[in-house]
Amino acid sequence: MHYPWWYVPFLTSPMLIALVSVFHVLVSHYAVGGGLFLAYETQYAHRSKSKHYLDYLKQHAWFFILITVVYGAITGVGIWWTIGLASPLATEALIHIFVFGWAIEWVFFVIEIVSAFIFYYFWSKLEPEIHIRIGWIYAGAAWISLVLITGITAFMLHSGSWPENRTFWAAFLNPQFLPQTLARTGGSLLLASLYVFLHASFKVKDDKLRNLIGKRSVKPALCGSLLTAIGAGLWFVFLPESARLALASASVLNVLTAVIFALTTAVFIMMYVGPYRNPSWISPGFAILFLAFGFGAVATGEFIREAVRKPYIVYNVVMSNQVYADEIPALQRDGYLQSGTWTRAFVAANYPQMMNDGRIDNSRLLDLPERDQVKLGEVLFQYHCNDCHAGAAGYMAMGTLLHGWTPDMIRHMIDNLHIIRFFMPPWCGTAQEAALLTRYLSQIAPEQPAGMYYGKE
Amino acid sequence: MDPNQLIGPMSPMGYPAPYWFLVFFKVLGFTLHMIAMNVWYIGILLCMGLYWRGSEHGKRLSGRLMNQMPVIISIGVNLGIVPLLFLQVAYYRVFYPATILMAWTWFSVFFLLTVAYYGVYYYVIGLRKGDAALVAGRKLAGWVSAVLFIVIGFIFANAMSLMAHVKGWPDIWFLTSKAGAALGTGHNLGDGTLYPRWLLMIGLAIMTTSAYITLDTALFARRESEDYRRWAWRFSFTVYSVGLVWFALAGSHYVFASWPVELRAAMFSGPRAILTVATALLPGLPWLLLLLKRKTMTVAGAGLIGASHLLTLAANAISRQVVQNESIRPYLDVTAEPVTTQWSPLILFLLLFIAGVGVVIWLLAKAVQAAKAAPAH
Repeated sequence: MHYPWWYVPFLTSPMLIALVSVFHVLVSHYAVGGGLFLAYETQYAHRSKSKHYLDYLKQHAWFFILITVVYGAITGVGIWWTIGLASPLATEALIHIFVFGWAIEWVFFVIEIVSAFIFYYFWSKLEPEIHIRIGWIYAGAAWISLVLITGITAFMLHSGSWPENRTFWAAFLNPQFLPQTLARTGGSLLLASLYVFLHASFKVKDDKLRNLIGKRSVKPALCGSLLTAIGAGLWFVFLPESARLALASASVLNVLTAVIFALTTAVFIMMYVGPYRNPSWISPGFAILFLAFGFGAVATGEFIREAVRKPYIVYNVVMSNQVYADEIPALQRDGYLQSGTWTRAFVAANYPQMMNDGRIDNSRLLDLPERDQVKLGEVLFQYHCNDCHAGAAGYMAMGTLLHGWTPDMIRHMIDNLHIIRFFMPPWCGTAQEAALLTRYLSQIAPEQPAGMYYGKE
Repeated sequence: MDPNQLIGPMSPMGYPAPYWFLVFFKVLGFTLHMIAMNVWYIGILLCMGLYWRGSEHGKRLSGRLMNQMPVIISIGVNLGIVPLLFLQVAYYRVFYPATILMAWTWFSVFFLLTVAYYGVYYYVIGLRKGDAALVAGRKLAGWVSAVLFIVIGFIFANAMSLMAHVKGWPDIWFLTSKAGAALGTGHNLGDGTLYPRWLLMIGLAIMTTSAYITLDTALFARRESEDYRRWAWRFSFTVYSVGLVWFALAGSHYVFASWPVELRAAMFSGPRAILTVATALLPGLPWLLLLLKRKTMTVAGAGLIGASHLLTLAANAISRQVVQNESIRPYLDVTAEPVTTQWSPLILFLLLFIAGVGVVIWLLAKAVQAAKAAPAH
């Protein structure tokens, strides 16, 4: 509305955020947990003078750099790219609130990168104690960057007292901050161990060494599981009521919640009976399956975390349709087309007869020919609805949701959007604009499916 | 259509710090980012060319630079975060619309960069194993990476020039939209400033690569033969000379043939004229120093060349910022937004920034100590 909307057919542009983010978190958590693993284990290997283990850890550090410093860093920047394109207003808000949070995170990124490269490239050239210290510098910097970004993503789920106080700290220290920090720290430890199992299963031929790696990396994984469970419990307790109800009422989320519990339990059991009790079980097949379960649990968790925020992108601050919650009364009064920079420009360029003294004359919108009313309805759909819904076909497409709906039913739904579904934003336009959107949706609403039988009198 | 209609409202939150603070870090970050970005931008292409057709010394130089490239890229990408962060705080009203209009191209940077970066690693892993390991596939990966980085730079030039080319937005929007929503297939190829601006950056990149070769030879190549070192300094002088001519030609075209009359008038009046002239003349200083020192280069001399080139990059970054503001001014005064300074996070950032610099210096000192103590290979 204030920015041009990016129309991505079938998928909707915000789904690109989800795609990039999922691939990023699978690596970014490893960047933290793997850093802690390398620091702790290098310390152990140096102090126990275990040359074999040190050699393995060097190999693992190279694998770690190739995955995290390249792919992790680029997908992190990729998220930024995508949110700016697909969710510009929320990004504008977050950048204004958290610019110094991100700037501080960048300081720690620099430390991470410099220490990671020195840790690996000067592996046998540094004094052991200095090498260990550099490993811990990396691990500390990586964990702090996790804490910083979690403060920001947690704010999106629960803005806490920020709407009243409007300070950085009110935003950062939100109710979801601690639960999500615990859960993500645990997830990092757990996921790192799964990466270690995978790497060791392919690279280590010596059974004794593989057993040592299995035994040593299973303990942080079990601790990680515990931390994740505590974090997830607190996450649920500190959810805003709307998010908790969304979790309970959306059948997809019910299923996914069950999936995440099943996958996490499976990983925990596999961890106990596998590497903990029988370290020799770590084979490539076992490790791949293990990592796949871990990826499944993390990706599902991220999806749920995103989904329960609706109807907000930032709880009580930015709505899912790219308007500030504070703006809604003015939009309902003045009109959505009039209030949006690009929607107003569209009307001014294509329907100059609708403009009166530089403003859209709402009262005349329904005087337009039907074809133009449908066109403006489509504009409203793009800017008001396409964040979450594709048009005729695609992701959560209105075409599939409106089978057999009459114009009156559609109009009723638009007028009562947030009441019929509390995870939808309220209608943010005038009555005339609701009529325009109704016209467009009626055009793409298919017939009731044929051949359905409801009995005979 | 009046392009002013496409500028959205101010953020209700206001700037979190005064404009000068935001723009200082934007320009500082861009200057630092340019050092690394310039080196990989032209450096990879140069290295691939030297390995393909170069002399023995050329191949040696190619190997030296490519071996460092993964670290240079990583640091450069990281340093690019700072200008992009502060750009989004102060220029959000033009940055988001411009990039959304060309969304697919802008989005593709993420994929292109991933492929290019892994391509460099794939090449370098082969390089480290010796000539025999540099099979055709690895060489191809190196060339593909070189080309992809050039393409990425062009996309950046496209986005940044479109950001300042608000006048061109309505046409792009009308041509590439569906019911008012951007298809993201727009571009700024019709903007006369795009090509000279991009070529100007290539000229800078050639000079930066040369300055880096000078520094690498003086600081890190002490174990190379004296013959190689002399050759490298002569070679870097040649490269810098090419870059200087390129910069002069592209810069002249940019300023005198592509800038609107009002922008040229603004950039050649008052204190801005000094900045414009300094930006044009400063690349001559490292070139002169290279000319004088290329036969008897010392560490101090190389440091001086590096410092004077850093000054060149800084002047360029400042000039670009002023030109950007001037181009946007008819539509948006970026200095006029309300400010709600976030004092405690700002101070915390500055303190941690200083502490972070300290930690990085400590880390580098340990690396240098370890490198000195390690036996020569």
